[in-house]
Amino acid sequence: MYYLGVDVGSVSTDLVLLNERKEVIEKLYLRTKGKPIAAIQEGFKALKGKYENVEIAAVGTTGSGRQIASTLIGADAVKNEITAHAVAALETDNDVRTIIEIGGQDSKIIVLKNGIVTDFAMNTVCAAGTGSFLDRQAERLEIPIEAFGDYALEAKGSVRIAGRCAVFAESDMIHKQQMGYNEGEIIKGLCEALVRNYLNNVAKGKEIQSKIFFQGGVAANLGMKSAFEDALGKSVFIPEHYNMMGAIGAALIAKAKAEKAGKTMFKGFDLAESIFSSKSFECQGCSNGCEVVKIQENEAVIGCFGDRCGKWGSELAV
Amino acid sequence: MKITFPHMGNIYFAAKTLFGDLGIDYVIPPISSKASLELGSLHSAEEMCLPFKIMIGNYIHAIEKGADTVIITGSCGPCRLGEYCELQMNLMKRLGYNLDFIVIDSPNDIGAKELLSRFGKISSKSTLSKTNKIAALLRAIKVINLVDEIEAMARNKAGYEVNKGESKKILNECKKEAMNCSDGKSMIALLNSYKTRLENIEADKNKNPIKIAIIGEIYTVIEPFSNLYIEDKLMDYGVSTHRTLSPSWWLKNLVLSPINLNQLDIKRKAKEYLPLMIGGHARECIGEAVLAHDEGFDGAIQIFPMGCMPEIVSKAILPQISKDKDFPILTLVVDEMTGEAGYITRIEAFIDLLERRKDNVLSRC
Repeated sequence: MYYLGVDVGSVSTDLVLLNERKEVIEKLYLRTKGKPIAAIQEGFKALKGKYENVEIAAVGTTGSGRQIASTLIGADAVKNEITAHAVAALETDNDVRTIIEIGGQDSKIIVLKNGIVTDFAMNTVCAAGTGSFLDRQAERLEIPIEAFGDYALEAKGSVRIAGRCAVFAESDMIHKQQMGYNEGEIIKGLCEALVRNYLNNVAKGKEIQSKIFFQGGVAANLGMKSAFEDALGKSVFIPEHYNMMGAIGAALIAKAKAEKAGKTMFKGFDLAESIFSSKSFECQGCSNGCEVVKIQENEAVIGCFGDRCGKWGSELAV
Repeated sequence: MKITFPHMGNIYFAAKTLFGDLGIDYVIPPISSKASLELGSLHSAEEMCLPFKIMIGNYIHAIEKGADTVIITGSCGPCRLGEYCELQMNLMKRLGYNLDFIVIDSPNDIGAKELLSRFGKISSKSTLSKTNKIAALLRAIKVINLVDEIEAMARNKAGYEVNKGESKKILNECKKEAMNCSDGKSMIALLNSYKTRLENIEADKNKNPIKIAIIGEIYTVIEPFSNLYIEDKLMDYGVSTHRTLSPSWWLKNLVLSPINLNQLDIKRKAKEYLPLMIGGHARECIGEAVLAHDEGFDGAIQIFPMGCMPEIVSKAILPQISKDKDFPILTLVVDEMTGEAGYITRIEAFIDLLERRKDNVLSRC
């Protein structure tokens, strides 16, 4: 039996399959590109021939697209990213005390004690320092994002970059480029600025204790890891499946939930071939004026979101 | 004269009773929505706090329905809400609306005589006898107390109900039906019948639900649109919530404050952390947080609009309370830019946190 976890994030859609021993046997990292349904279908296409529907014992979804994913797939558990990341990290190592998670547009800190979450925080006003910003800078410097971290590691010195705001950080980088600093130094400076920003905003007032896990897509950037280690004076661990932790957490939560329920809600891999369409409209029922989104699979309505009163059916799966 | 007022939670029920029974022409602005916020944001200064913007939207919507007089509360306390009336008068004038404002302020600040003359401006439009006017006022007070009581009961019962969603359904139905009542008497009768219904819903006394106290800035905790209907969301998750601040609490507080008998327990609880009144409801927020811990709540959620000075002060104090008492507190800041996705994620994660703490005794060591 296998357990499927789906994390639909702003930048990537991740799918993992765990086996009975909770080991990752399949992982897919796909770009969401603003089309969560298409990304899920792409992932399912890749899994379809290899696994049978009946082999899937539980499905969990997480990420900003967790509701839509749940409607499509038929999820046993729909969990927020914070809990999913914490569950996955605890499965890897029960002694973890701090989780630094930086994804496409969110950055989070999760504080744990004795294996349970005691505090957390999330960026609220600014996305400086998250994956999409780094993506954009890599593109602008014409360096593949995968190599971004190596440039930082090889740099001898660093340039101070103003990292409080993404737009100003970019102007400052351009300014430093034009003054003649080399790319490596600028990238290292950028990593340090982003770490400073993270520690001053997201992690403000939180006690960061070892063991520290660094996960989410940005953990691929070794420059960020070493900047964190320098700033904290502590070692930072990157778990093996750092960019899949959300999906792994969702699969683990779903496993527990489906075992309790004794069955799964999984609709099967066939949705890879279905034609999905979504329509949004403003409900005129009352002065709330909710924006309702209707999801259709092969012309049949499978779910509606966004209404407050439940008129269009916002059944809550928690 | 056609009276209107800005929305704030259940106040419109009392207003309907009062003006309806007095026979004064009035308009209830459409329930606060995206449209009111967009309209308000368009005309307000960008840094202005969220309540101001929603209120401006309420006014413009009410004017479209014929309103020409606004009743609003003011205060000379160190919070921007106290100055709203002056700012809004200027703003509405500049927008070309000819609106009359009647500001209800504490007698300490404007004097009892001035307050009575302002009340007189409203009541003189009614043809009822003095006794009947007072009776109408009392009915309105009865209504607001009842609605707030029903709401509080429903929010609490959501954690215990056997049939999921029942208390929310009754609450929504009650509010809808109440607005169809023709006068105060029938509304009170209806509210009483709903109160009985709610009292008798099937509840599981052995359930031990997550209990959360909602604390923070008065407008954003009371007006559901401004906090993205957080209490409704928590009901869906089967969480019992309690909120001290409400229109009826405010009224009671106002009456008791000149003789210093208001909210004694809150003041006492806040003393250790914030012994002074620093404006807004910062001291209440601190007192309620301590009180919530003492009363066995699992956690508290503080809500305030971006840029709210008093609540920023209390936000800085709350982590200390959280640490001293081992009591989780989540702070949510709302404004017109609030993204719902991140907001829900934090609420859900907070509930998970509370749930897991409950299951794991070790975590409190």
